[in-house]
Amino acid sequence: MSDQHNMRLSLKIWRQANSLSKGQMVDYELDGVSPDVSFLEMMDQLNDKLIKEGKDPVAFDHDCREGICGMCGVVINGQAHGPEKETTTCQLHMRKFKNGDTIVIEPFRAKPFPVLKDLMVNRSAFDEIIKAGGFITVSTGQAPDAHTLLVPKGDAELSMDAAQCIGCGACVASCKNASAMLFTSAKISHLGLLPQGQAEAKTRVLSMVEKMDELGFGNCTNEAECEANCPKNISISNIARMNRQYLCSAATHPTM
Amino acid sequence: MTIKKLDGKVPGGSIQDSWNNHRFKLKLVNPANKRKYRVIVVGTGLAGASAAASLSELGYNVDVFCIQDSARRAHSIAAQGGINAAKNYTNDGDSIWRLFYDTVKGGDFRAREANVYRLAQVSVNIIDQCVAQGVPFARDYGGYLSNRSFGGAQVSRTFYARGQTGQQLLLGAYSALMKEAAHGKVKLHTRSEMVNLVMVNGKARGIIVRDVVTGEFSKHVADAVILATGGYGNVFYLSTNAKASNASSIWRAYKKGAFFGNPCYTQIHPTCIPVHGDNQSKLTLMSESLRNDGRVWVPSKVGDKRPPNEVTEAERDYYLERIYPSFGNLVPRDVASRNAKFQADQKKGVGPSGMAVYLDFRDAIKRDGLNVVKEKYGNLFDMYERITAENPYQVPMRIYPASHYTMGGLWVDYNLMSNLEGLFVLGEANFSDHGANRLGASALMQGLADGYFVIPYTIGGYFADYKPDGLKTDHPEFEKALHESSERFQRLLKIQGKRTVDDFHKALGKIMWDDVGMSRNAKGLQHALKEIPAIREEFWRDVRIPGSGSEVNVELEKAGRLADFLELGELMALDALERPESCGGHFREESQTKDNEAMRDDEKFCHVAAWEWQGEGTKPIRNVEELKFEHVKLAQRSYK
Amino acid sequence: MSYLLKYVKTSIVKKQLMAASGLLLCGFLLTHMAGNFLIYFGPEFFNTYSHKLISNPFIYIAEAILVLIFLSHICLAIKVTLENRAARPEPYYVSVHSGRGATLSSSTMPITGFIILTFLIWHVVSLKYGPHYEATYNGVVMRDLHKLVIEYFQIEWHVGLYILAMAAAGMHAFHGFWSAFQSLGVNHPKYNCCIRFVSKAFGVFVALGYSAFPIYCYLQGGN
Repeated sequence: MSDQHNMRLSLKIWRQANSLSKGQMVDYELDGVSPDVSFLEMMDQLNDKLIKEGKDPVAFDHDCREGICGMCGVVINGQAHGPEKETTTCQLHMRKFKNGDTIVIEPFRAKPFPVLKDLMVNRSAFDEIIKAGGFITVSTGQAPDAHTLLVPKGDAELSMDAAQCIGCGACVASCKNASAMLFTSAKISHLGLLPQGQAEAKTRVLSMVEKMDELGFGNCTNEAECEANCPKNISISNIARMNRQYLCSAATHPTM
Repeated sequence: MTIKKLDGKVPGGSIQDSWNNHRFKLKLVNPANKRKYRVIVVGTGLAGASAAASLSELGYNVDVFCIQDSARRAHSIAAQGGINAAKNYTNDGDSIWRLFYDTVKGGDFRAREANVYRLAQVSVNIIDQCVAQGVPFARDYGGYLSNRSFGGAQVSRTFYARGQTGQQLLLGAYSALMKEAAHGKVKLHTRSEMVNLVMVNGKARGIIVRDVVTGEFSKHVADAVILATGGYGNVFYLSTNAKASNASSIWRAYKKGAFFGNPCYTQIHPTCIPVHGDNQSKLTLMSESLRNDGRVWVPSKVGDKRPPNEVTEAERDYYLERIYPSFGNLVPRDVASRNAKFQADQKKGVGPSGMAVYLDFRDAIKRDGLNVVKEKYGNLFDMYERITAENPYQVPMRIYPASHYTMGGLWVDYNLMSNLEGLFVLGEANFSDHGANRLGASALMQGLADGYFVIPYTIGGYFADYKPDGLKTDHPEFEKALHESSERFQRLLKIQGKRTVDDFHKALGKIMWDDVGMSRNAKGLQHALKEIPAIREEFWRDVRIPGSGSEVNVELEKAGRLADFLELGELMALDALERPESCGGHFREESQTKDNEAMRDDEKFCHVAAWEWQGEGTKPIRNVEELKFEHVKLAQRSYK
Repeated sequence: MSYLLKYVKTSIVKKQLMAASGLLLCGFLLTHMAGNFLIYFGPEFFNTYSHKLISNPFIYIAEAILVLIFLSHICLAIKVTLENRAARPEPYYVSVHSGRGATLSSSTMPITGFIILTFLIWHVVSLKYGPHYEATYNGVVMRDLHKLVIEYFQIEWHVGLYILAMAAAGMHAFHGFWSAFQSLGVNHPKYNCCIRFVSKAFGVFVALGYSAFPIYCYLQGGN
């Protein structure tokens, strides 16, 4: 709409053909970017241009483009999901940039998140962590009436705060140690704060942390960059809760 | 080439008992024998994930496929508002019967009564199941579950988890799925796109899958195939669907003989953020719970371009409250959408494009205070501000309808099996329980009902009369299907034309929106029927797809899906043309009351249209399933 | 026993051991500082105190425990840092802080830790094992540490390095103290800001408290 404000941008983008090849930063110029478009729409525009020039478009993950599926995520000018607080890459709008800006775009980097192509990474390590215990063991049909279980409003709210995690991996990407503690602790808190999740709380925290370590994520040094870059504002108090539960569970679990 | 009369296999007896009786009559598979069966589930949204988890719990071997990098990303995650259940926890007169009644009526009498009744029945179990899984639904101070009224319902039966109910329900189903994956009964195949259905001896026995990272094709065999791949709203290019949402799985099945039910039934959601410009890639929905407190208006005067806060009360037309005094801003989605379009058509639309109406919270803030409004809608307001750079606490939101949900889909019987034996279709992908229009907070309910509480029983009924035969993927039908698919992708790659996939998709979307959108007429539909094949022909001649088929190639994936949309769009237009009545989301301008309301023609069209593919270049056959309304009396909907 | 040892290797317990040893070292910092403060009461007071301290036979056990704490903190730090490096083999082209999380103190923990370690060696070598002067009070012959430190801090760069190292120690504690509570899971919305404040205050107190000491000695020598 605001054609008169269209921007010209210099883009520095990580290009890598596949997980085995070596990547490099490549420079692009892009003209006519409206400040009203989203960051990914700007990327679409770049790809449109590249395809028309007969070049290989930049691969990046995305899906819902409304900030909830957790599929998108790149590091923009050194920050996971870019400069805006509590915002995923798809919800970041170009009005946050200025005409003539240079924007550096890189994939989320961590040993357990290998690059598949360009900005696309494999985050199946997160699925592995959930598989290790991020659930309540209940089969379909076993459930009693929902009202037989009362959940104090405060606990439900805290649980929901943690449950909002979209599993995008920005916590890992923005942690200087590539630690997955925020992701893991969010799931442990979500389930552990509810009475339904109590029965297997100890096993859950022990198994999930074991899996997290095994996958090669780094250690937490409590810098809170994960919280600061989390699009859903998941708090590091979840990490403290996990640390506490882990200590207690490790000390008292009868068999693990 | 004869028109078939389809049988929905609705069990007899009273509607209240039909599901229970049917479950009892379904034969059972011995627990020890269940492990001899393998089931393929395509899609990991609410329907797919819940089905896969539940079937695995029963002992079946399950292969699950999704195109995203994780099962947790399916687009069910984006549903905001809530999930209906006839719990009557609020003591306001809700019951299974009322939910059933509302859904049949809301669907404008184009759904199968028995299915809807079953949906209402199992709705209560869904809430129990989700709570047990750890879904953090909103609670009252006493610790009990909190409810709200939603999307035109006059009772508070909607359960919610802030504005992220779909996310929480999906994460619940995903966790159940991962629990089963941990036990090894479910095998997950991510970044895997189904590209063909394999039929052996008249039964659905497998699928062909393309790995979107390596481009490799693989063959998968099973005793039954479940498609839970969602809707086809992306045929409009701009929609609230995720970018990868597509119709390819159901379209492949259609081309193998599965009937496509009511393709023209699409839902246009009234409260989306308006389009900003040509590079827009998708539309964002604002939960319609906003209509509980927001008031919809446009300036009374045509072409009034003053900022909204300068328009005085007397100069505002709260048109929904004016036309529908008893439902006001809470009229069903189709009514709200059409009225917004009507205002825009009269040049009363607001915003730079004129394609928007206001949704104003001024009075709600005055009445309840800023904090109450903030607590209820804070995250939605933040999202709105992030996208539009306008503060909805100070200026009214601008909203406009957008393609959101498709009630149409593959035809299924009461057991959720398509006309192809062994092919089951769940959730939005089937032609569903919503008739011609879906009520708010009912999609989540249907997806989970199908997956948790229907398919585990009905698939058993199918398997009881079916013996596993040890079929392997070396069967020639698998080779044939794989070849068919790889040929098709090679053909796309060879075109090397000039226009991008999105170019074509936008062109298709424009025709669909203009001619097969919120309001349809014969002339427009005929225009679409002429234009769509022309675009399709040009697409196959001039699309440009860079790269090869043996690597990550997003353009190639998109092209494959668009090729299907280009065929489906035509079928939608054809279905819309051959249903000259108006019903629910399908509004034919030729069939309206004098107050511009949808007017059904129950005499001629009280049926499901189930389209049967007849091969390239041949018009498909329009089979019908007659609908009987024995419990909810056929009546013209009125929300006045 | 083996299943307990298994836990020592996990990311969380490693950090908790670092936290526990760190907190004990914070305690050591306080007691050491308290001892240092005695210098303000004159040579006799200071020397008698240190004599009592080092002539106590338990001092060897205490020193051994202290060395153990230091070593475990250092070894774990090295291990954790190496693992963290390995978790991101390919560095970012650009990496900036959001401004809402990491602080100068938190992001320089390995560096300040290394400075403290280097200082520690220098400190022990030049003071504990430094020149041996003697003094006699009430007929008891003892080491004249007072003379040693005054003499030692007459050299300006000694003072400078000492203050620099103490600034590093303060910085290290500024983040480390709070971080230890977080690692051990001592966290509650009611008390979090309190812990944060105490942590920062502790860091500043350590830096200033220790820095005052060499300055005092330097000025003493001038008289």
